[in-house]
Amino acid sequence: MPRWGMVIDVKRCIACWGCTIACKEEHFLPPGVFFNRVLIGESGKFPTSSKLIYPILCNHCSDAACVEACPTGATYVREDGIVAIDDEKCVGCRACMVSCPYQQRTYYDEKVKDREYFPGQGKTEMEIIGEKLYPFKLGTVIKCNFCTERLEDGMKKGLTPGKDEDATPACVNICPVNARVFGDLDDPNSEINRLIMEKKGKQLRKEFGTEPAVYYID
Amino acid sequence: MNDKHQDLVETMFPSDGSGIKPYEWMISPTRQRQWIDDKGIFLWLAFFFSEIGAGLYFMSLFYSFRPGIVLGWLITLVLGGVIHMLYLGNPKRAWRMIMKPNTSELSRGIWIIGVFALLGFLQIITPGGFNMVFNFIMGILCLLIISHGFATMNVIRALPAWNSTIVLPLSIISGIWVGHQLLQFMFALSGNALVVSGMEVWAATFFLIYFLCILLYAWGTWHTSGAAKASILKMLEGDLKRITYIGVGVLAILVPLVFTLIMWGGDTNGFLIFLRLASVCAGDLAIRYLIMKSAVYNPLI
Repeated sequence: MPRWGMVIDVKRCIACWGCTIACKEEHFLPPGVFFNRVLIGESGKFPTSSKLIYPILCNHCSDAACVEACPTGATYVREDGIVAIDDEKCVGCRACMVSCPYQQRTYYDEKVKDREYFPGQGKTEMEIIGEKLYPFKLGTVIKCNFCTERLEDGMKKGLTPGKDEDATPACVNICPVNARVFGDLDDPNSEINRLIMEKKGKQLRKEFGTEPAVYYID
Repeated sequence: MNDKHQDLVETMFPSDGSGIKPYEWMISPTRQRQWIDDKGIFLWLAFFFSEIGAGLYFMSLFYSFRPGIVLGWLITLVLGGVIHMLYLGNPKRAWRMIMKPNTSELSRGIWIIGVFALLGFLQIITPGGFNMVFNFIMGILCLLIISHGFATMNVIRALPAWNSTIVLPLSIISGIWVGHQLLQFMFALSGNALVVSGMEVWAATFFLIYFLCILLYAWGTWHTSGAAKASILKMLEGDLKRITYIGVGVLAILVPLVFTLIMWGGDTNGFLIFLRLASVCAGDLAIRYLIMKSAVYNPLI
């Protein structure tokens, strides 16, 4: 069984927000909900300051704080390493949201559901279709799932995640500078492992001991 | 711009500068919102009522005072329990929260509350309920319930202001202190002047420990990390400073201190006890609110 992970090259990222938008399209996310963000910050002081660009998504940690905190077992780590949410079990206590050091979860309630991309003008056809094609359950927590549906459908067709677009997360496919690489962390010969080894991939906020599956290289 | 548009803009870009943005997110200490804003306010109240109910029950055990344990049991289960349910997104599935006591503090809390409800009911209806074994077990359960709210917060490593070692002692002493005040007021209402006067020694002791725990929490958190320090600064300088100075400084510390000094030596007065109780409750609510509201996450980059 593979363990899916991602490497993001922060030197390549040009902060085009393509990943953010592709993700919103893929999951029909309402306004104000982001499974993918591109954080822009600074380090140092003039004249030695530098700009930091960090694409952020759920880290699919193998020792995830959200999984520990969930009182119902709704949030769990799948065999393939993806941290998933069973919306039938989620009680909406938001312990997972509070405990996530990366703050990559969103509570889906009426307020979020009722948001319109063109406020006051009703939902567009796209938003209505989205709610049918990709329904979220009210009173539950939602987050990035590494495009599980694409992965599973693609693998059923014999495609390889990370290589074939139809089996690879939308944020990876859209990236115009190939800053994102998706693959199997348990395969020593995979491209993702080569990059982590050669470029000394770093995990974000490693001190929390959550063992993220998303690595950053520069 | 219509109202809906205005709401959306306020949601995405609130005036405090901490909105749901795809870029400026978690690049500076970011406040936790889920457990205090909007429906999160129910959680704040639920923790408070569970704590004071269990505190009253705990103190009543020492005086074998049945009305105290009945009221404590009711406050914990009815007020605390119902308000907890109001907070949940799917309260009908609340029974599922018993499923993961091995890792989840919330789940452990549900088990403890369940056992407390059952054994507490048995103690209330049993004529010889105030025996040593029952009292010991219920005392332990009360302490666990008193600390449950803060214990749930304390295990969250991502929020340094909650992950402080003094959080649990603070929650236990605040539960005992408020419970003691409720019990003293109940005795005052029942006209039992001798017991009320005798309880004053403990009032002074609990107040002193409570005051020291507040100071230790502030001092310890200040020195923990940058994010923890930012939490304390939010209390002292930010939007929350009024609640800090009035709620904690005046209601939780100054007023109880003055009334405790006035009643020093057991010279108690029912009206002053009532005023001190009201002040202590408001002060405890303020402290809980501040701790929940001011907790910030470390920036990601």
